[in-house]
Amino acid sequence: MSTVSRRNILAATAGLAAVEVLGRPYIANAQAKTATIWVGQGFVPQEDAALKETVANYEKASGNKIEYSIMPFMALYQKSISALTSGDVPDLIFSDAPTVILPVNAFNDRLADMTDVVETQKGKFTETALLSASFYNGKLKKRSYYMAPVKQASAPFHVWGDLVTKAGMSLADVPNRWDERWEWFKKVQEPLRAQGGRKVYALGLQITTVGPNDGNNLFYHFLIAYGGGNIVSKDGKLNTADPKVKEAAIRAVEQMTRAYKEGFVPPEALSWNDADDNNAYHEKLFVMSFDGTLSPELAVITKRPDDYQNNMRILGMPTGLDGKPVPAQVGAGGGFCPKAGKNTAVAKDFMKFFITPEVMNANLKGGLGRWCPSIPAVVKNDPWWTDPKLDPHRSIYVQTTVLGPTIPNYIGFNPAIGQVNAEQLWGKCHANVLKNNMTPQQAVETAFKRAETIFNKFTFEG
Amino acid sequence: MSITQQVLPIEQAARIVPRTRRAWGGGAQRGDFYWAIAFALPYVGVLLAFVVYPICYGFWLGSSPALYEELFDDPTYLTTVVNTLIYVVIGVNLKMIIAFLLSGFFYRKSWWTKYLLVIFILPWAMPALPAFLSIHWLLMGEWGFLNALLHQLFGFEGPHYLTERWSGVLSNISAYNWKNTPFWTLIFLAGRMAIPTDLYEAAAVDGAQRFQMLRHITMPLMAQLYLVSTLLATVFALGDFNSVFFVTGGGPAMSTEVMATLGIRYAFVLGDPPLGVAAVLTTLPLLLPLVLLLMRLLRKQEMQL
Repeated sequence: MSTVSRRNILAATAGLAAVEVLGRPYIANAQAKTATIWVGQGFVPQEDAALKETVANYEKASGNKIEYSIMPFMALYQKSISALTSGDVPDLIFSDAPTVILPVNAFNDRLADMTDVVETQKGKFTETALLSASFYNGKLKKRSYYMAPVKQASAPFHVWGDLVTKAGMSLADVPNRWDERWEWFKKVQEPLRAQGGRKVYALGLQITTVGPNDGNNLFYHFLIAYGGGNIVSKDGKLNTADPKVKEAAIRAVEQMTRAYKEGFVPPEALSWNDADDNNAYHEKLFVMSFDGTLSPELAVITKRPDDYQNNMRILGMPTGLDGKPVPAQVGAGGGFCPKAGKNTAVAKDFMKFFITPEVMNANLKGGLGRWCPSIPAVVKNDPWWTDPKLDPHRSIYVQTTVLGPTIPNYIGFNPAIGQVNAEQLWGKCHANVLKNNMTPQQAVETAFKRAETIFNKFTFEG
Repeated sequence: MSITQQVLPIEQAARIVPRTRRAWGGGAQRGDFYWAIAFALPYVGVLLAFVVYPICYGFWLGSSPALYEELFDDPTYLTTVVNTLIYVVIGVNLKMIIAFLLSGFFYRKSWWTKYLLVIFILPWAMPALPAFLSIHWLLMGEWGFLNALLHQLFGFEGPHYLTERWSGVLSNISAYNWKNTPFWTLIFLAGRMAIPTDLYEAAAVDGAQRFQMLRHITMPLMAQLYLVSTLLATVFALGDFNSVFFVTGGGPAMSTEVMATLGIRYAFVLGDPPLGVAAVLTTLPLLLPLVLLLMRLLRKQEMQL
């Protein structure tokens, strides 16, 4: 019988320590520190619970401490902008869709470079996720990663399947071409109105001039479907002089305003805010819309389970004019560090932990799949994301958002697009046609002229 | 020791202090002077931290001339200036006239007006956000309560209040006035109650009619209160964000924005706080004379009420 010597104990201890370190190389364990992070509140309580669990796991593994504040999305957005402006910042901001904050502050050199964080999982991310995390620094005159991507979302078609059936039609017949799909859904309106739905509309087309996001997203997808996706190229250039882009924009405005004039779109859509279309959809006041994330469905998952399981349906992307599937324009979320943060090293270490596939998966599943992982292997290796038997919507959404063709939001290419969106230039195009008697061409030319003025303020080199 | 006993020596001491020249520190003893400083310091600190610093920081943020070039280059800016002027000039005056007239109604001595007054002030007591959101839904063209009611009662489809500029501006002004008119009505009611009833009785003896009493007693005596209230209401209206943001959201096509909402849009939608501050600072040429006039009126020794 062998005896356990002091040397054995020391060797075993050293071995365990080595496993601990090598097993989690991303954890900076040298000295326990505290990082302050701000996080957007989850859409469902499970999302917040998942985050708290992730933080607890990280603290246990690293010995570091994370002091987090969870706040509503808009409050986080405004607080982040104020903090970055004043310099009184947290160490990490974790946000769903920091669309304007990132490009503007990266351009102004107010964010810490996150390349070392992204590098730990770089080969696993989608190209779209990496492009969404890359921004131009106007001071250093180069692009770099300023966000550690965690999640991405797209806009699927949301349909009340029971209303389609009530109209005597079948979802199995929905065309797979962009234009034909919109035209097909127009046909549901008349039968529904004949059955007493006085105010039922076929399309919840958000041609809104109020914003902030829905109208812009919708316009860009019409533009992409019609071959004008290159309106802003990866190098940050605005390509409004490209005849293909202009033609696509005119066609997009013409199609959307025609549907409005024909009476298939609620007139109030011109002034909808982000909540109005969701409210109207939940009241079954229109049959189909094209809107971001699974939130319209998830909002009723507990209160109206029958609607969630049986009546609501989502559809993936159809093909565009070129016969190829229209790529979904994806919004990305993740963590970014203000440059003036005091404990950036700990914040980055936490993000390295967060973007490991296992942690990312556990966290996003807590959000019930409203946001998808930025790493395709996560959804491929876990049937929770892709098995249609487990959920009627999620597998289609994952296919559209992660596994199918995607492109990043233009905001990563040039901060100017943030101002174009904020000024609701595309919504104004529709309004100019509908209220000011402009032709779609005149409206597009007016918007393009303004967009060119805005883009001229941001000069890129290299 | 009674309060009188405490006060008397202080009064006597005050008489001894020569009044010809006011000493620095108010002529207080050194010990009293230090106490005075100690008591004043927290207030000065609060003033510096929460008033002076934010104002200076705001001016610093909005100090670059380039911001104003960008601002004036934005086609929305001019529309916003016009809307803001309509909002404060027409909106505020309409509200104050209505409040003045309603204060006369609530001054009546019947029992039921007291109960009606309680109901009337409810909009003012309500939190702004749910109130304006409710109005937004009320005015929704397709599914709003107002048009549904019109359809039920008269069988016709009402207009789309939120998709046209002028009906949008009117909706915002109406919402804001609905919320704030009760407050100013109460102020004017208090003003009316402070007028000695002898004056009305004497006028009645002289055979004056109601309109003559209004013209020659009420209006002259309440003129200064009305003016001060109107100036205050104008300053409040210039800074109002909630009603426009929640009723029309600045739409359609940003045609109903006012300066407060445009500033917030620049700051937090565009992510450019300095531009937002610059937008708000452009209201200063209108705001400063109003505040100066207000201060001047409030410093007058002889107030009418």
